[in-house]
Amino acid sequence: MGVIDLLVTIIVVTILVTIALGVMTYIAYKLRLSRRPASVDDEVTGPRFFVLRQPPAAGARSSEGHVTEA
Amino acid sequence: MASRRRTFISLLLTVGVVGGSVWLTLWALQSPLAVQRFLVRLVVISLIIFLAILFVRYFSLLWFAFLQLLEKTMQPQRKEVSLPPVSVIVPAYNEGAVLESAIDALLRIDYPTFEIIVVDDGSSDDTLAVAQRWEGQHGGVEVRAFTKANGGKATALNTGIAQARYAFVLCMDADSAIAPDTLREAMPHFGDPSVGAVAGNVKVVNRVNLLTRLQALEYIEGLNMPRRAQGFIAAVNIVPGPVGLFRIEALQEVGGYDNDTFAEDADLTLKLITAGWKIVYEENAIAWTQAPTRVLDLVQQRYRWTRGILQAIRKRKRILVQPFPDFPLWMSGMEMAFEGVLWPVLNVYGHLFFALVALLYGMGELLLYWWILLTLLDLVAALITVAMEEESLSLVPLAVIYRFFFILFLDVTKTFAAVEEAFRLGMEWGKLRRITYREQAGIGGP
Repeated sequence: MGVIDLLVTIIVVTILVTIALGVMTYIAYKLRLSRRPASVDDEVTGPRFFVLRQPPAAGARSSEGHVTEA
Repeated sequence: MASRRRTFISLLLTVGVVGGSVWLTLWALQSPLAVQRFLVRLVVISLIIFLAILFVRYFSLLWFAFLQLLEKTMQPQRKEVSLPPVSVIVPAYNEGAVLESAIDALLRIDYPTFEIIVVDDGSSDDTLAVAQRWEGQHGGVEVRAFTKANGGKATALNTGIAQARYAFVLCMDADSAIAPDTLREAMPHFGDPSVGAVAGNVKVVNRVNLLTRLQALEYIEGLNMPRRAQGFIAAVNIVPGPVGLFRIEALQEVGGYDNDTFAEDADLTLKLITAGWKIVYEENAIAWTQAPTRVLDLVQQRYRWTRGILQAIRKRKRILVQPFPDFPLWMSGMEMAFEGVLWPVLNVYGHLFFALVALLYGMGELLLYWWILLTLLDLVAALITVAMEEESLSLVPLAVIYRFFFILFLDVTKTFAAVEEAFRLGMEWGKLRRITYREQAGIGGP
C-alpha cells in the first residue's frame, strides 16, 4: 500500500467514523434528555414569586452622568 | 411524558435521516452503469462547486475582516470621546456558581458612570442570594437585584431593560466575564446616531481540554471572523448574548427581546436590522465565556443555537425571497441561514458523498487533494484570524483537528436539529451545568 492509499484510507475512515460518532452522540444526547427528571418549569404552573422584588428608589432613565473625555 | 414522546419522535427522525442516506447509497450502488457514470460526473462537479463555495466564503470573509481591521487601525484617534452612562444587565437563571465572579469582573470595568442590574429569572439555586449580597454602592457603581417568575432569558433581559436608568444597555450572560475596557471601547460607536447596537467579541475562557481549546479556535475563526467581516458593512447579523450593547431607543422601537425563539440574540438583531438600525462590531469589547467542557453539553448548546437561528429566520421567512428593497436584511437572513444551517448540512453530506465515492469508484487521490486543500485553507484562515485577534499561536495547529473532526462532528448535530425544526418538534432550553472558576482551575469546588 502506497503513501497516498494510506492517507486516503485514513481520511475516509476518519470521515465515516466522525459522522458515525456524531450520530451516536446525538442519540445519546436525546436519550439523556428523556431520562432527566421533569424540569421545575414543567411542574410549576404559576409564578414562583408572587411579588416582583425591587430594590428601593429606582430613578427615571436619564443620561445623567454623561462624560466627555478629552 | 412529553419529553419522552419528543425523544421518541426525535429518534425516529434520526433513524429516518440515517436510513434514507443509506438507502440512497445502496440505490446508487445497484443502479445501472449509465446512472453510475452520471453519479461520478455529478461527484466531480459537486466537488468543484463545493470547493468554489468554500473558497468564495473564506476569501470574502477574510477580505472584509481584513478591511474592517484596516479601517479600525487607520482610524485617527478622536480627541474627544463621548462616554454616556450605561446600564449593565445580567440575566441569571441558576447561575449561583458563576454569578459572583461575573459581578466581581463587572465592578472592575473602567468607565465613568454605569450601574449593574442583576435579574434573577426565578432560579431554584442561590442566584438571588448571591445577587443580594452584592446589592448597593461599590465605589460609585450601584448594583441592583431583581427577581421574577421564571420566564426565560428574553423576559429577564426585558425586565432589566425596563429597570435601566440610562439610555444605553450592555446585555450579557451571567457565565461571562466582561473585559475592563469593554464599555470604553464600544460606547464611542454610538456617536453615530444610526448605530443601534454594538456586537462584542466573545472568547473562550476555560481552555482546559482539547474540546474547549477547539471551541476557542472556533470562536475566533468561525464566529468572530464572519462578525468582523459583517462589521465592515455595519450589518452584523448576530449581536452575541455574552456581550451586546444597545441603544434603548432602538430596543423600544422594536419591542425588546421576543420570547418565541431559542436564539433571542439572533432574533433581536434581525428586528433591529429590519428597523433600519446599523449594527457594528467592536473587537475590543471582549466577553470571556465558559465553553461546554463535555461533549453532550456542547451538542446540547449547538442543537439549541441551530434551532434558535432557524426559528428567528422562520419568523420572517419572506426576507429570504425578497432581496429588495431591504438588501442588508436579505443579506443578513441569507447569511444566517447559510452559515447556521445550509453549510453544516452540505458539509455532512458532502463529506459522506465524497468518502463513499472514493471508496467505491477509486477516486481516492482526488479526495486526498481535496482534503489537503481544505486543511491548508483552514490553517491559513486560522493563522490570519488568530493574528488579527492577537491570540495564542498554539491554537493554529488545532485547525487540522478542527477541519478533520470537530466541525464535521458538530455539523451532524446541526443537521438533525434542522430536520427537527423543519418538523417543528417541541424542545426545551436545556440548561448547561455551570462550574465555578475554582473548579475550572482545579482548586476544587462545592
